[in-house]
Amino acid sequence: MTPAVRTQGLRKEFALGWFRGRLLAVEGLDMEVRKGEVFGLLGPNGSGKSTAMKMILGLLRPTGGRAEVCGYRAGTISARRQIGFLPENPYFPNFLSGIELVRYYGRLSGMGGRKLETRIAELMELVRLGGEAGKRPLRTYSKGMLQRAGLAGALVGDPEVLMLDEPTAGVDPAGSREIRDLILELKERGKTVIFSSHLLEQVEDVADRVIVLHRGKKLREGRLEDLLSKKNEWQIRMQGLDERGVQLLGESAPRERLEDYFLRSLPEESRK
Amino acid sequence: MIGGIRRVLAVAGNTFLEAVRQKVFAVLFLFGLVMVGGANYFTEFSYQEQFKFLKDLGYASIGLTGLLIGLLGAAQLIPGEIERRTILTALCRPLRRWEFIWGKYLGLLFLLFVMVGIMSAAVWGVLHWKEGQLIASEGGDPAVAGLIRAEARDPRMLQAVLLVWVKLAVVAALAVFFSTIATSTTFVVAMTLMVYLIGHLQSVAREQWLESGEASRWLVKSFLVLVSLLIPDFNLYNLIDEIVAGNAVHWKATLEVTGYSVVYVFILLGAATLAFEGRDI
Repeated sequence: MTPAVRTQGLRKEFALGWFRGRLLAVEGLDMEVRKGEVFGLLGPNGSGKSTAMKMILGLLRPTGGRAEVCGYRAGTISARRQIGFLPENPYFPNFLSGIELVRYYGRLSGMGGRKLETRIAELMELVRLGGEAGKRPLRTYSKGMLQRAGLAGALVGDPEVLMLDEPTAGVDPAGSREIRDLILELKERGKTVIFSSHLLEQVEDVADRVIVLHRGKKLREGRLEDLLSKKNEWQIRMQGLDERGVQLLGESAPRERLEDYFLRSLPEESRK
Repeated sequence: MIGGIRRVLAVAGNTFLEAVRQKVFAVLFLFGLVMVGGANYFTEFSYQEQFKFLKDLGYASIGLTGLLIGLLGAAQLIPGEIERRTILTALCRPLRRWEFIWGKYLGLLFLLFVMVGIMSAAVWGVLHWKEGQLIASEGGDPAVAGLIRAEARDPRMLQAVLLVWVKLAVVAALAVFFSTIATSTTFVVAMTLMVYLIGHLQSVAREQWLESGEASRWLVKSFLVLVSLLIPDFNLYNLIDEIVAGNAVHWKATLEVTGYSVVYVFILLGAATLAFEGRDI
């Protein structure tokens, strides 16, 4: 099956200006995201997460390597039809209302007429901005509401893949939980979700697989179960185990917290 | 193709809506209307002079307001979207970059069209009001009334309105071009104004180039050639002054200037598309 997103040797250098050299933001990134999974991009600030996302979206041109979305070369119109994006700390045209924003993005995706209006109504309900809330100007929205409006905008073209860059940054716990629930709902609908986040507990809650980046390079990639389980350790804290329980104990190993795993994955100098 | 047109119109509509909902444009527009209306109170001239003054100040107000709106609007088009990061959520969609550029330009052009249209209607309104006032003050003499009417209802004003709009269209295209290579709105405004001013001296550079013999230095000659070919000749729009002065200006000349402007707009937007195509966002 064609992967939702695949990158091969993806590389990006930025020119820093005359006589200032170049900055290597992403180096030789190989990554594969399968259809229908929730994929977490982890890494400290400046690790290349947003740059990698922008190359997959076609907003940045790779210096080397290639990226594909559902089998189409990243940046082409066919690839962009398959993908929806919510950037980090998004600023939307604040002279629009929530509904107008989604309508504008729908038109940019080539939609129109009754089909678009039906889709807008459906999405505003999905992100809990139906009714009067959707008619208010965006400048009156809270951070959480803006993120949800942005999410509706990202989904309007019914993309296969959804890319969310720090979707819960600056959002309060309740708003953060709402976004987490939305990601899970989208997964249930068969969408592929790629997201980056600093909230590792949240990543642990929703991600099927993760990749850890550091200074533009991939450090780890895999299923959370595989990465977090301590293969050669057993920790037993149960009383009155029945037969089934004993059997399960034999099969599973304890898991470490993603936060501990993440910090352990970084080079020593970065942990301090 | 239809999808592309639909996307261009979506960007154009949004650009127009953004400008209409911004206070700064409303204030500029009101300023222009006040200038047009204010011209009516200069009454110590003969009626011919009064009409000339009204037309002169009217079209100057439209030109100045349009220049400011066009400059500010175009300057915000791309650098403003990059600064606010709203461009990310637009360009990640199945939208070609040329569609984005053309959409932005057409939105601005429509804004200028509406502005020029409303302000021209205001100029005509003032002229009409003045016509009634002057005819009444002249005691209803049919010969004088005929002359006053001829001054107030000069059909060449339509040519002047078209030329004002076309000139603003070229300025807006220049600003759009600079906005695709700039990182700040100040740069766009400064560069556009600079080219606008050089454009008024372009004909001098062209004459110098054509008249300069082999003796002139190659560096000077190259500079003159560059200025003559790259920068639009804004002196061509002086036809507006001729119309205001009451001189005969043929439609053929007006349409030739319009054609020249359309060619420049296409060249500038083509260059803007090329510059923007490879730009990292």
